[in-house]
Amino acid sequence: MPIEKSDLLQGTLDMLILKIVTLGPIHGYGISQRLRQISKEVLLVQQGSLYPALHRLEKRGWLAAEWGESENGRQAKFYKLSAKGKQQLRKEESNWNRLAGAVANILQTAQ
Amino acid sequence: MPFWKVPSRKSTRDPQYDSELRFHIEKLTDENIAAGMTREEAGRRAVLEFGGAEQIKEELRDVQRIPILETTLKNFRWALRFVRKSPSFSIVVILTMALGIGANSAVFSAIDAVLLRPLPYPEGDRLMELKQVNQKVQKPQTRLAPLRLEDWNRLNSTFAGITGYYTEDDSETSGPLPEKIEVAYVAPRFLQVFGVAPALGRGFSPSEEQSGGPNAVLISDRLWRRRFAADPNVLTMKLRFHESHWSIVGVMPPSFAFPDRDAEVWLPVAPDAPYAQHREWGWFIAIGRLKLGITQEQARANLETVQAQLGKQYPQTDADLTPGIVPLKETTIGGVRSSLWMLFGAVSLLLLIACTNIVALVLARGAQRQHEISVRLSLGAPRFIVICQLLTESFVLALAGALLGLVIAGGASGAFRSLAKDLPRVEEIHLDGRMLLYTLACSVLATLLCGLFPAIRGTRGNLSGALAQNNRSQVSGRAPLQWFLVGVQVALAVTLLGGAGLLVRSFQALGRVSPGFDPNNVLTFHITGSYGETADWKKLQSRIWRSLEELRSVPGVESAETSLFLPGVPNSWPSELTVAEGQTDPHRKIAVETRVVSPGYFAMMKIPILAGELCREDVNSVNVMVNRSFANAYFPATTPVGHHVLEPGNSFLPGGEIRGITGDARETGLDREPVPTVYWCLSAPDPDPYFLVRTKTDPSAMAGALRRKIKKIEPARSVFDIVPLEERLSDAFAENRLRTILLAFFAVAAVSLACIGLYGTLSYSVTVRRREVGLRLALGALQGQIVKQFLLQGLTATLLGCVAGWGLAAASGRVLSGMLYGVSPSDVATLSTVVLLMLLVAALAALVPAIRAARVDPMQVLREE
Repeated sequence: MPIEKSDLLQGTLDMLILKIVTLGPIHGYGISQRLRQISKEVLLVQQGSLYPALHRLEKRGWLAAEWGESENGRQAKFYKLSAKGKQQLRKEESNWNRLAGAVANILQTAQ
Repeated sequence: MPFWKVPSRKSTRDPQYDSELRFHIEKLTDENIAAGMTREEAGRRAVLEFGGAEQIKEELRDVQRIPILETTLKNFRWALRFVRKSPSFSIVVILTMALGIGANSAVFSAIDAVLLRPLPYPEGDRLMELKQVNQKVQKPQTRLAPLRLEDWNRLNSTFAGITGYYTEDDSETSGPLPEKIEVAYVAPRFLQVFGVAPALGRGFSPSEEQSGGPNAVLISDRLWRRRFAADPNVLTMKLRFHESHWSIVGVMPPSFAFPDRDAEVWLPVAPDAPYAQHREWGWFIAIGRLKLGITQEQARANLETVQAQLGKQYPQTDADLTPGIVPLKETTIGGVRSSLWMLFGAVSLLLLIACTNIVALVLARGAQRQHEISVRLSLGAPRFIVICQLLTESFVLALAGALLGLVIAGGASGAFRSLAKDLPRVEEIHLDGRMLLYTLACSVLATLLCGLFPAIRGTRGNLSGALAQNNRSQVSGRAPLQWFLVGVQVALAVTLLGGAGLLVRSFQALGRVSPGFDPNNVLTFHITGSYGETADWKKLQSRIWRSLEELRSVPGVESAETSLFLPGVPNSWPSELTVAEGQTDPHRKIAVETRVVSPGYFAMMKIPILAGELCREDVNSVNVMVNRSFANAYFPATTPVGHHVLEPGNSFLPGGEIRGITGDARETGLDREPVPTVYWCLSAPDPDPYFLVRTKTDPSAMAGALRRKIKKIEPARSVFDIVPLEERLSDAFAENRLRTILLAFFAVAAVSLACIGLYGTLSYSVTVRRREVGLRLALGALQGQIVKQFLLQGLTATLLGCVAGWGLAAASGRVLSGMLYGVSPSDVATLSTVVLLMLLVAALAALVPAIRAARVDPMQVLREE
């Protein structure tokens, strides 16, 4: 069953976007495609959440954006990770792993 | 949609948003075409799939927008809730702020009105006071001759106009009783230069400003209301001065108070009058209005050229003269500038202490609120937002304090106006928009001072640590920062107290001074006279002799004399003399202070004659007396008695024989050492000398009898300005006294605040360490030890503050040095007394929480665990 935006933990979308952007400059459409593919269609992110998130991350300085030509020759806005964003991603990843580990632990011991 | 978002619906970034989103839709369309749809179908499906583009765009705009208003309102709501929830804390902070800001605003209102604002005339900053300067004589600045004033006005190119004035107290005799009135005699163009028009009637016409023209007079609003009950028909009425009638042609507006607030009548002086044709006479203080865009320096250069030209034309009278030019505002303000800035410094220190006090309070509370802040930060609130919210709390408190402070300032500036009646421009002090703005700025500054540091400190550090920490297991209560702040408050309070102490001590020293004369039981007053009388000196002299004789005959009067100046009331007439018989050292200038007195003055003031004999008043020649300082300075080997002194260039006092030597008296001011002085023995040096009467009993009680006596012999003259000499001496130091009182008041407020700070910090420390104290008591510690320990903690901070305060006080004593008498700015006795006093008061403040600590019940504390 696909997980909709409301079920995503707050802040998780940001982390996922940062992670995807590490692979190289990419536009919004590309990110939504990539999210769907990698999560094997589990995560469905609405554009209504994706674009505000992208702009928020850009404003915080974690993403850098510039206009460029897409593969089919049209103008598109490409996002890439900034140095600050890289740091943030590392922090969020380790937090996430700790939390996930803790939750997993609890679930296992509670069984 | 909240209303405040409406105006900025569209942003400049909209085209970018459009093309970014359009790109996404196009890609979706491509995808759909690849899946086999027709072009239109693919596009339609893509738009549907993408969702509401407009809504997304609005959200993107929101990302860029900082919802300032929304956040601010929310912060204010929170802050108000916070204030309500902790009333005692809020009240202490608000009162402290009110004291700090109120005192500051009050002094600022005085500084703004007196020093900062332009004079209350249209473009008052363009008005300059002009004098003539002769560097070759002892008193280089003199007044302008009417002829020279007209020359300057005609020949210059930098002034829109030059006018002048001098004042005289005159007797107005149109009413049932003669009334003394301060008359300002003005040169032509007076109203034009000031740019002020009469509120009623008109200014002087050209013919009224000429010799032989109709007599015309302008009166003040005050005189109009007092004498004519604000009768609009006043323009048909006349005033009477020395046997002639003067038609009232206009009434000045109430705001016009030039040359001073006592001036009630303005009379024109005709420059072409026969008696005004002497170039060496100094009558006028000239006032010029600069042309637009002309600087003071340009005007000076221009007047110098003009005067150089006059010097060639009239070498005898004009060659040595140069123009002096000072903004009129400077001469109006006079010497109060340094006093006002000193007070401003004092209230700024007070505000700083108040803020430090509040910082300590907020920090103590911050420790209690640490948990709340940590929770909010860990829930994802950005640190900046939390800091803003904490600052809003401080701002709400500061604003409340400022409002209360304004009430205090309003009362204070009222008190200031009545206390400092003699302060120039004091009537212009009031609460207005500028002061509101200043107060608001003060509260913003106070917010930043008080709030920023605790907010930054409170939101810093290890959050999970603070969250995990159990408050009860916390033992440390040392809080070095809070104790540092206590020290700072003590240091600043000691600085203020030190300053106040020095002023008080110098006031005491002034009271102990032996003036060299006896001011008790002496009544002083004026009898109106006019310069017209100087046309016949003999007549003037016999008039004054007669008055003195009559005054001496009044029962209860011991003696009656005249003097040009009052002894001990600051006033100076320096001059340079030569000795007719030749001097011991011909190159040494004989600089003296000039006094003109009637011969009986010395006996009356109990100034002893040390050598020679008392001078006599002779119709044909003038005698002089000199004081001991004069004899010691200029005749160290011989006696000056019998020598003749001359004052070159003074046609009025041509020279005289020294008849005797008197004791030294502090003639020029109680705070000034006696200087070499020459007394010219003349009862009638001018038509309006001071009359001095020594009475057998209380001098004030004699005023009525003396007035009646003069009324009987001189019905057309009025007796005015009747004040005992002792009161004049104390009035001479009124500004000094006001300064001392105010600084002492601020110092007491500062010490109180510092003690509240100490008390609060120590109480907090006791609260935090209750458990530790309880344990120690349970383990057998004595109550005395606990008290001693907390007392020492408080006193150590105080002592360190005192040491720093001593240094600060000694350093800032230099600010006071011009205001001190008989005590050095770094006087050890004063400063150590101040420090002792501070320690004593601090010990009292610290004792209460220390004793409370020792009364902790160990059992109860242990049960709380």
